[in-house]
This record gives sequence, C-alpha cells and structure tokens, in this order.
Amino acid sequence: MLKVKNLHASVDGKKILKGINLEIGAGEVHAIMGPNGSGKSTLSNIIAGRDGYEVTAGSISYKGKDLLAMEPEERAWEGVFLAFQYPVEIAGVNNTYMLKAGVNAKRKHQGEQELDAIDFMQLVKEKAKMVELDQSFLSRGVNEGFSGGEKKRNEIFQMAVLEPSLALLDETDSGLDIDALRIVANGVNKLRREERSIVMVTHYQRLLDYIEPDFVHVLADGKILKSGDKSLALELESRGYDWVKEEEADRIKAA
Amino acid sequence: MSALTLDNIAALPGNAALQTLRQQAADTYTRTGLPGKRDEDWKYTDISRLTAALGESWWTTSEPQTVDINDVAAIEDLDAYRLVFVAGRFQAKQSNIPAGVQLLPLAELLNSDAHEDAHCLFKLDESAPLFNGLLAANSALASDGLCACIREGIKLDKPLYVVHVGNSTAHVLSGLMLGANAEATLIEHFVGTDSSAASLSNIATYVRLQDNASLTHYRLQLESDKQLHVGRVEVKQARDSRYTLHAVELGGSLSRADIIINLSEPGASCDLNGLFVGSGRQHIDHHTRIDHNAPHCRSRENYRSVLDGRSHAVFNGKIVVAEGAIKTDSAQSNANLLLSKNAEIDTKPELEIYNDDVKCAHGVTVGQLDKNQLFYLKSRGLPEDEARQLLTFAFADEVLVGMKIKAVRRFIEKEAFAKLPNLSDLEGMLT
Ligand SMILES: Nc1ncnc2c1ncn2[C@@H]1O[C@H](COP(=O)(O)OP(=O)(O)OP(=O)(O)O)[C@@H](O)[C@H]1O
Ligand SMILES: [Mg+2]
Repeated sequence: MLKVKNLHASVDGKKILKGINLEIGAGEVHAIMGPNGSGKSTLSNIIAGRDGYEVTAGSISYKGKDLLAMEPEERAWEGVFLAFQYPVEIAGVNNTYMLKAGVNAKRKHQGEQELDAIDFMQLVKEKAKMVELDQSFLSRGVNEGFSGGEKKRNEIFQMAVLEPSLALLDETDSGLDIDALRIVANGVNKLRREERSIVMVTHYQRLLDYIEPDFVHVLADGKILKSGDKSLALELESRGYDWVKEEEADRIKAA
Repeated sequence: MSALTLDNIAALPGNAALQTLRQQAADTYTRTGLPGKRDEDWKYTDISRLTAALGESWWTTSEPQTVDINDVAAIEDLDAYRLVFVAGRFQAKQSNIPAGVQLLPLAELLNSDAHEDAHCLFKLDESAPLFNGLLAANSALASDGLCACIREGIKLDKPLYVVHVGNSTAHVLSGLMLGANAEATLIEHFVGTDSSAASLSNIATYVRLQDNASLTHYRLQLESDKQLHVGRVEVKQARDSRYTLHAVELGGSLSRADIIINLSEPGASCDLNGLFVGSGRQHIDHHTRIDHNAPHCRSRENYRSVLDGRSHAVFNGKIVVAEGAIKTDSAQSNANLLLSKNAEIDTKPELEIYNDDVKCAHGVTVGQLDKNQLFYLKSRGLPEDEARQLLTFAFADEVLVGMKIKAVRRFIEKEAFAKLPNLSDLEGMLT
C-alpha cells in the first residue's frame, strides 16, 4: 500500500525528517508514537500533500505510484485521507457540500457516476449515525464553531464518507473525553476493512486499547527508532521515550 | 469650465421658489466644480473620467425612454411594491404605489405647489461631511425621485422596491421619512440594459428616522459596464432608531458612494454591510462617515471586497465620536480578497474620538485565500479551482448572510458569483 523510503524533509532549511523508512501493507493498522516535535505531523502532512515542506531525499510510493508527484486532491481521489491534528474552520462553507464535492470529484476521477443530492444525503446521514454525529452538524460551516472534540468527530465522519484506502489519523484522540474517545474509536473500528490501511499518530496508549494496532513505531528526532507490536506501546507508556533514544545512541556508538 | 446655466434647469419640475433653489445649487456647483485629486476624500478616485467620457453632457438628464421592466434583470420572486424609474423619471404604469402611506414621485410633488415640503431636499449644507460639487449638481438638476413619509407606528407590509433603469444620465433625488415606531424596507436597485452606453447616475437619498423607527436599506449597484455612478446616502437618526444598510457594488465602470450617518440622539444604532465584487478595470469607492453625536449609540460596519482583474477599490470608514457621546459602542471591519496581482485596494479606517468612555474596535485585512483552508479542501478531494471558488464565495457571502430577504440574497449571490470564475452549481454550497 505505502512505502516510505529514506525520507528526508525540511522546512525553511530546518531538517525535520531524517531518513524515515516505513512500509504499510493493505489492511494493516499502524500506530506512530513519539515526543512532541519529533516530526509525526510533518510525515502525515507530506503524505497528504501539504506544501511548505522540502523533500530533500527519499521517496514515497503508494499503490505503486510516486505519491510525491501528485496534487493533494489526486491523492484524495486515489484514497489517501488525513484526519487533521488541528482541523481548519472554514466559515460559510457547508460541511455537506464540501464532502459532496469531494466524493463526486473522486467518483469522476474513477469513472463512476456522480451521486445526486438525494443519494448523497442518504449516504451522509447513515455515516453520521455511525460516528454518532448529530445531524445538525451536516449543514453547518466546516468545523465552524465546533468544539475540539466535535472537530475530531467530524474528521472521522468525513473519513467514513470518503472511504479512503489509507487513513492517517493525526492525534484524532487528543482532546477527547472518555465517552467521545469511545465513540470515535468505535467509528474507526467500524471502518476497518481488509483492504483499508490505517495509521494512527497518538500520544496515548488508551486509544490502542480500543483500536488494536498491528505495529507500533517510535518516531523521535525525525527518525523511526524502534518498531514492534502493541506491547511496545505499553512499554512506552510505562518507561517513556528516553530508553529508546539511549538504545539508538548506543547503536550508533557501536557502529 | 463653463457654468451650469438656467437653460439646464428651466425645464425641470418645480415652482419659482424651487427654481431659485436650483439656481443657488447651480451657483454652488460653479464655485466648487468637480472634486479633484487635491481633495483628500477623492485622492484615489479620479472623477475626471466623468468629463473625459461625457464632456458636459452629464448636466443634462437624458431624453425620456421607454423600457419594459419585464426586459430588465430585476429581482425575481420578490413580494414588494415596485417603483420604476427609467432615465430618471418615474414610470407610473409599471409601478405599484402602496396605499395608506404618503408616497409620491418627486416630480409630481413639485408640480403641485401645495407641497413645498420637498423643497428642503434641495437646500444644500456645504459644511456637511463629504459635501461635493456632484451633490450640488444633483440639487440643481434632479428630475425626479421618490418622496415617502411612513407615518408614526406604520409598519409597511412589503418592501419598497425601487428599480432605477440606467444607461442614461439621471440626477435622482429621494427623501424618505419614517415617523416614530415606523418600520420599512427600501430596496434601491440600479440596473443597466446596454453594456456599450456610458452615462452618469447621480443619486442622492436622504433618510430621516424618528424615535424608534427602523429602516432596512438595500442599495444594489448593478449598472451596466460603462456606466458611471455617484451616490450619496445621508441618514439622520433620532432616539433608539435603527438603520441597516446592505450596500452591494457589482456594476459600472466607476462607482462612488458616500454614506453619511448621523446618530443624533441616544440609543440610535446603525449597521452598514458592504460587498464589492470588482473585475476588469472597475473602480469602486465607498466613503462612510458615522457621527456618534449622542450617548449610548451603537454602530457596526462590515465591508468586504473581492477584487479580480485590474479592479481598484477604495474603502474609507470614518467614525467620529463627539465629546458628549459617552458609552459609544462601535466596531468596524474591512476585509479584502485580492484574486489577481493587478487588483488594488486602498483602505483606511479613520477614528476621531473626543471622549474616553467608548468602545471602538476596528480591523482591516488584505490578502489572498487562506492556504490552510485551501489544503483542507483539496485533501478532501476538491480540485484546486473549485476549492478556490468555494472559499471566495464563502468570503463574500459572509456579508450577505445578514440580508433577511432571501430573494435579494439569492439574486445578489447569483449576480456576484457570476462575475467570478464559476465552476459548479451553487445549490447548498454555503451555509
Ligand atoms: N511550517 C513550519 N515551520 C517551521 N517549523 C515547523 C513547521 N512545521 C513543523 N515545524 C517544526 O518541525 C518539527 C516537527 O513538527 P511536527 O508538527 O511534525 O511534530 P509532531 O511530532 O507532530 O509533534 P506533536 O506531538 O506536538 O504534534 C517541530 O520542531 C516544528 O516546530
Ligand atoms: Mg503533531
């Protein structure tokens, strides 16, 4: 599904990613954890196509294609979805309209017939129910006046509607109370499919109690220092990140 | 420049006393002339384009014309009293005057000597804010207009929809008075039919609101491409009265409006909303002036412009808070979106505050579309052009949401968005 090879990236000349290697197979769930400022959002943003980053080395292939050569909207049409760490408010733009435009652009790209207003409304209502999003949010401005938790729920709702093959969830669990976390996590679990890969960026083991990952990675200082299974998350929860960094330092010394 | 002469005004309506007022106004014009670049209030707007395009012909109201209002792009599905002016003259047959209110075309009123009331509209106060020669010319040359008095306690059941069909030189002078507790909506719609014709619309509208009266005023400028438009709206507000303006600038080659609000008694409030959509080489200029002359008055001002091509907009918002106007509550915002690198905006908030007990907020932004919003939409699959269009429309629409009459809002959205790169169906796009 996704192959990130030796990815180096910088912003305004400052090196942020320093050789990321990551492979994500179809249907797998990966968790990426790591200290603040280590480059987790940068990686997600580069995969989704945000500009402002300079990729200085390495490559990303997605379904066998060169992802970095594609516009963000083309990536969306090919099934890439990013749930933003900080979803943007867009006053005045109808939430449902935006999604309909997105879904239909994707369908057009895939040579499918566009959905009409009635079919789309039905789809949207169904998905809203799935993530327990109140219908009143559908006709509001995109994230306009939403609380932090409502914004995160709206991101998962959008994921449900857009049906991506690769979903990057950047701290979708942050800022959620325990009930909202359960609802959002249940929503994500309902969206798990054989062919749908999910990457979750998180600081909290509690999310992984709800959504069980196949792999856990530690990203620190622009590199993936350690990968393991879900037990690694438990270890990180109790021991923090320093031991991972020390192990890395020792390894470099030995080499 | 030669003077306005009696020849220009002899044929205009009004008795001998009014002819004298007209002549005085003509003399004032002769003395002041057109505003020039040396005039601070006209620094960015070159009115010499008027004489360049029309010579001295702008002094003369065009010949009467016949236009069928059904051939004009008027607002559809609007339940209103329609009052039609063509080439600056009232068209009785195409109009529908409400019963039970005093409402007459100015020319008719002037021709019946009994109503010298209307003469006050012709008396010029040269010390008034933003006074200029064009206003003097309007007094000298006004051919017609609308005079209405909505008496105390009357709530007009439907809006007054005044359609000015342009492409002709017209000097139109209107007066609207609302008695205590009266309520009304006035829609002034300026529309052209011939995109190759250049003439002048010189429009002055005086409004007086008595205690607790409320007027909502839509001023919709959709003249044809080459038309020059100058306007003045002067509002005097008594105690607790409310005035809401929705000013929309879409048409014409050069359009200037001076909006002058006098909050003269305690508790009065005004809301000024403005939207400019400029393209090509359009020039749009609003100078607004709000005088807080009494305590506990409130003013809100929200102007936005979307400028494409080589269009140039000017916004000057002056707010003067008098010494005794304590507890003034005032806020002004002006946001501008430049879609092309050749589009230009000159914006200037001006606050003059003569006491300490006031709340005055103001803010100006000039910029392009927000990159984060653009990325968000694209990441949801919207093509770049569509995402840009959506954000542009949403930006403009923010000032239209306050329009309570849906038919007007839909009409303006359609007309405004049609001027911009337009890719998809608007249905459901905005909240
Ligand atoms: N646009 C930018 N301009 C300047 N610096 C940036 C920019 N974007 C990211 N950075 C820097 O890059 C580093 C990595 O940021 P990033 O947001 O990827 O971290 P993160 O791992 O997601 O952190 P957090 O856990 O706090 O969300 C930080 O030092 C950040 O300040
Ligand atoms: Mg982050």
